[in-house]
Parts: sequence; structure tokens; C-alpha cells
Amino acid sequence: MTRLRAVGLVSGWGAGVAALPADAPAAADGRRVIPVPRPALDGERFRRATRECLLGVAAVEAMLAEGGLTRDAIRGADTALLYVTAAAYGASNRLFVGAGGASTARTAGGLAEARRGSASATPAGGRGETRRGDASATPGGAPGEESREGRAGTLHFPYTAPSAVPAEVAIEYGLTGGYVILVGGARATIDAIWQAARLLAARRCRRALVLAVETFAECEDLWARGRWAARGPLVEAAACALLEGDGHVGYGPADGPAPLETLAVRRAGEILACAPLVAAALAREAGQPEARLTGEWRGRRAAVTLALPAAGTPALV
Amino acid sequence: MSAPVAVLAAGVATPLGLDLESFWSALVTGVDGTSGIERFAVADLRVGRGGEIKKITPLRGGSAPRCRASALLLKAADDLLGRAALTADPARIAVVVGTALGGVGELERALADAPGPRAAAAALYDSPAHALARRLGARGPVLTVSTACASGATALGIGADLLDEGAADLVVAGGYDILCRFVMRGFDALRSLTRERVRPFDRRRSGLLLGEAAGLVLLARERDARGRLGRLLGHATSSDGSHIAAPDPDGRGLEHALRAAMAAADVAPDDVDLVSAHGTGTILNDRIETGVLKRVLGPRAYRVPVNSIKGALGHTMGAAATLEAIMCLLAARDGVVPSTLGYEEPDPACDLDYVPREARHVRPRVAVSTSLGFGGCNAALVLEGGG
Repeated sequence: MTRLRAVGLVSGWGAGVAALPADAPAAADGRRVIPVPRPALDGERFRRATRECLLGVAAVEAMLAEGGLTRDAIRGADTALLYVTAAAYGASNRLFVGAGGASTARTAGGLAEARRGSASATPAGGRGETRRGDASATPGGAPGEESREGRAGTLHFPYTAPSAVPAEVAIEYGLTGGYVILVGGARATIDAIWQAARLLAARRCRRALVLAVETFAECEDLWARGRWAARGPLVEAAACALLEGDGHVGYGPADGPAPLETLAVRRAGEILACAPLVAAALAREAGQPEARLTGEWRGRRAAVTLALPAAGTPALV
Repeated sequence: MSAPVAVLAAGVATPLGLDLESFWSALVTGVDGTSGIERFAVADLRVGRGGEIKKITPLRGGSAPRCRASALLLKAADDLLGRAALTADPARIAVVVGTALGGVGELERALADAPGPRAAAAALYDSPAHALARRLGARGPVLTVSTACASGATALGIGADLLDEGAADLVVAGGYDILCRFVMRGFDALRSLTRERVRPFDRRRSGLLLGEAAGLVLLARERDARGRLGRLLGHATSSDGSHIAAPDPDGRGLEHALRAAMAAADVAPDDVDLVSAHGTGTILNDRIETGVLKRVLGPRAYRVPVNSIKGALGHTMGAAATLEAIMCLLAARDGVVPSTLGYEEPDPACDLDYVPREARHVRPRVAVSTSLGFGGCNAALVLEGGG
């Protein structure tokens, strides 16, 4: 069976499941979005990374701390990384669109507006700068030769892709194993756990990180219009689970929500792709030996089951 | 990782043609599908060319959706359904599509305007995949993969996994992406785009051009297949953990993925008859890929044709790897390997056989296809042609 070795959570309510309220809608007190501040990760390495990227790193740090693990425990090609989000590219996309309107006048205003609306999402630079001769990006001129708009675009564009978050995580922890990125809500996280299990079963990896990040603040207006997708309160979160074992998870469709799915939404609020990982954390906190996890997105629901050895149990492989 | 799966049929919508045979004929005869972009303003960009589809012809039995990404996917689905029927319980039909940009054209519009609920929903990256599922009547799993420009390969691999797992009986898998100001402006600002033609592996290569397309294949377990275009023998992915926008300079991630895919397929270097390279036409990508192929295939690397179809289509991002996989299977079907359009002058750093000038009349049985993308995404596929 596939085992949950460790799980970490950062959310708008605070760190870990202990910070979750008993009733998220009541605790929200009418607020539509419960944001997460930009994580306090110091150093040049993170100076220009976007908030969603930092949340991904913070979730991995939380997972390592919860499991009593060092970074060396996950470094290298034996660790697969599976990332899921429904929303965490919105801030970067909004910033980039704002910086690149149809006209120069609109561009300047758009960038300023995007920055005001996205105080925590710093325009990317540094890490996003392309080296001469990049395969995907072959800059032909020095950054200083570009206009203000062009510079913002140059530095920010790679961060508009959903792959930016797992990329920063992979760089930070030296992860070079299997790599899958899925876009969707809680159902996509169930799919990602299944993919992790397949990699474990095929011995393509010895451990797998399933990471989910959701941010809403910068695109709150869009989410408000598209409320069919999320009931609210929208709670920003990042969660990471470390999986080990033989790769069996019993993946398949589910007719309705498992009790843990309902509990996770009640405790945490609408956290989309993070929900199954929070459900797993809640199950472990309650001392359950295993957890049946379900997740739904756009009317499709699936289930997996994970074994939940007590926190700190040594890895068997 | 999975048992081999059958590729029953394919469907495409590309700048070279809105159906499989038009696409294939243009590839084989060396048509350049890139042109000046007409659909949106490009006057303020350094480069205004790309593989643009000038007109999307009407869909069967209905008009195209406003979302261009969905429209391309549905057009490719029309082509696919003209070649194979979805003869399974709808609850057992899955959809897995890859994209770098999702419905970003709709997102751009939604952010600029004040959209209604449907437009806001269409701005989500996975909306086109669900539009495809609705069109197909597929009620099984619907997955959107976004491993940047490797998405179209990762999606095929996950589709094969769904079949192997018994989670679906048929899988429609592939990739798509569109040209829009968002992506043109991004790559333009990165100075990734060439002002000349795309020249993969050529000494004078100076960058890529973008393109828009959708490519889909219908996958089934081998025991369920009656007639097929070929087989997906193996697949793998890896992360570089190196740089947000550039590949590992030594190609270690790509090498890892290619070796893992070949091991999964139980294919040795001497079994490989064709390499469909990512071949973007940028300085670094083409040199890195060449090095990886030499390390993985050894002496065989010098004896197999290595082509890139990005000179003909532009880089179609999420669609690219799927189209390249389809190309491999069609090459086996017809016994002809398309040339690398734009490749003329050898580069000492790229010293393999890149199929210059004209299509080559050989019938590759086993092909490998390599893909890379932003965020250190790598993917490799091993395919076998023939029924």
C-alpha cells in the first residue's frame, strides 16, 4: 500500500491543520478570500520569485518539518514531483496581462494596477531572467536595452506558466525525478496521487511529493463571477505530501464525497487542489490508520486510499 | 511503466492543414506553414510571424466555440472521429490533454473586460479539456496536463497509464495551444523568436517561431484494438531542477527521461529507427538534444534520421509533442520521414543526420520522441509504427 510519510500545510488560517477553524465559513465572517501572506523566505534565491512559488517551497518545508526529515531525504532523481493547481497561475497571468496591454498608455496603467492588486506577487526577475542561449528563450539583447514594459515582460513571462511553481520547488530541493503537472481542483489531486503511486509501483522513484498550491486574492473578481467552481470562502493554501510504498492506492471513480472530503471543506474552506492533502493530514491527526480520500472537480469525483503510519515512522524503503 | 497501448487513430488541426492527411502531405512535401500573423496586432513586437491557422472551418453539426483553444481541440476531435468511433461506455472514455497556455486567450479577455460567469469559467486552464469531453460525450476521467511544451507527450503517457490501470477503456489524448498576444509578447520579450526562418540544428539557427495547433490520438489497450496506426511502447518524464526557463545545460533531465522511456519500452539503442527531436531551432536546445542523443544512443545516434517538424509548423507548444508522435506513426505507415525544414548548413556542434532538404524514403519501425519545456519539464515517448 502507498503510505503517507509526511504532510505539510500552510493556509490562510495559519500553519498546519492545528490552525484550521472548526467551521471555516463561520470563521470567514463574510470574507470571500482568506489570503496567505508572502512567505518569509530570505535570500537572493527568493528575492524575485512569485508568491505562489514561495508558497510551494513553504509547503515542502512544512512537510519536511512535520516528518522530521532533512532536505537530503528528498534530493535527487529518486524523488518524483507531482504538482496540482486550479488557480495558482492567476496572479502571474494577471500581472503579465496588466503589463502588456494593447497600447503603451494602457500598458503603464495596467502594470501599476496589477501591482496594486497584487501586493504580494512581486514581478519576477533574476530567476526568470534568461541566459543567453537558453533553449526555450534565446535573448538577443541585454535586459537593460529593453523598455520598462519589455523588462517586466521578459522577467515575468516564465512565471505565467503553471510549471513555474514546481520548477522553483525542484530547483530549491534538487528534485530530478519523474515530473507531472496537472491543472484542476481536488479531483486532479486524486489523479496526481494515483500518478505518484504508479511511479512508485514501477520503481521509477522511491518517494513522491504531491504538491498543491492555490491562490485567489489577485483574481478574486474572476472567482466571484465564476462561483460555480468554488463555494467559498476561498482560502489560499499550499500543501505537500510525501508518499512511499508499493504504489497501490485503489484509484477509481467515487459516487459521493468521503467523510474526510466533507471534513476538509468544513475545516479549511474552499482550497480546491489542496483539499485531499488537507484531508489526509486531518486523518492522520485523528490517528486513523488509513484514509480514503475523494476529490471532486467539474462534476467528476475520484477516490484513493493511503496508509497513514504515525508521524515520524521511519521509511521502509 | 505501462504495457504498450494501441494508437487507433489520430486527428489534427494545424497550420499545415485541418485534417491528418493534409497535415501529413504538407510535412512530406516540405510546406512552410509559418506566415505573418493576421488575427491580432503584432506591429509592436519584434517578430510578427508564426504558424497561424488562418481559418477554422465549421465543426460538424455546429459552430465553433468562442474560445479558440477549445475550437482547435474540437476541430482535431472532428478529424479523429472521422477516422475512428468511440465504441465504449461513455463512463469508460477518458480525456487527457496537454497545454502550456490553457484557455489563456479567454483569460486575457476576462481580465481586460468584466466577463460573465461563463467567460470567467472559460478563463481556467482546463476549460478546453472539458469542452472536448462534452463534445465527445466522455464521462470518464478528464485530465489537463501542463508540463509546458512537453505537455503533449506527458498527456499521451498518462493516457496509457489510465488504460493500464483499468480506469478507462478508451482514451482521447493529445495537446493543443493557440497563438495570442499573451504568448507572442512573452516569447518576443524573451528574444526567443527568430526574425529569419526556423532552422533546427542548422549552423545559422537563431530562434523559434510559435505556432498553434491541436493534435489528438485515440488510445486503447492492445487486446481491444482492431486495426491501429501504431503503438506507444513506453514513456517517461523528468524534472531538470535547474532553471525556470532554460533546460539543464548538459541535458541531464532529458537524458533521464529518454533512458527511462526506452527501458520501459524494452528498447535498445540499436532498435531505434527514427528520432523526432524537440528541435526548436534555438542555439542551446539543439546542441543539448544532440548531446543527449549521442550519449543515450551511442554510435546508433549517427545512423538514424533525426528530424524536427518545427521548421514547418512553428513551435506549437502543448500540441508539439503529440503532433511529433503522430508524425512518427505516419512515417512508419507510409515509409517516408519528413525532412527538417530550414536545415541547410551543418553545425559542428550538431553533427547527426537531420534529414536535410527532402523527405527520406525509409520505413522506421521504432521511433523515440523527445520534448522539453519551461520549468525544467522533460518527456520522452517510444513509439512503434504499424498495424
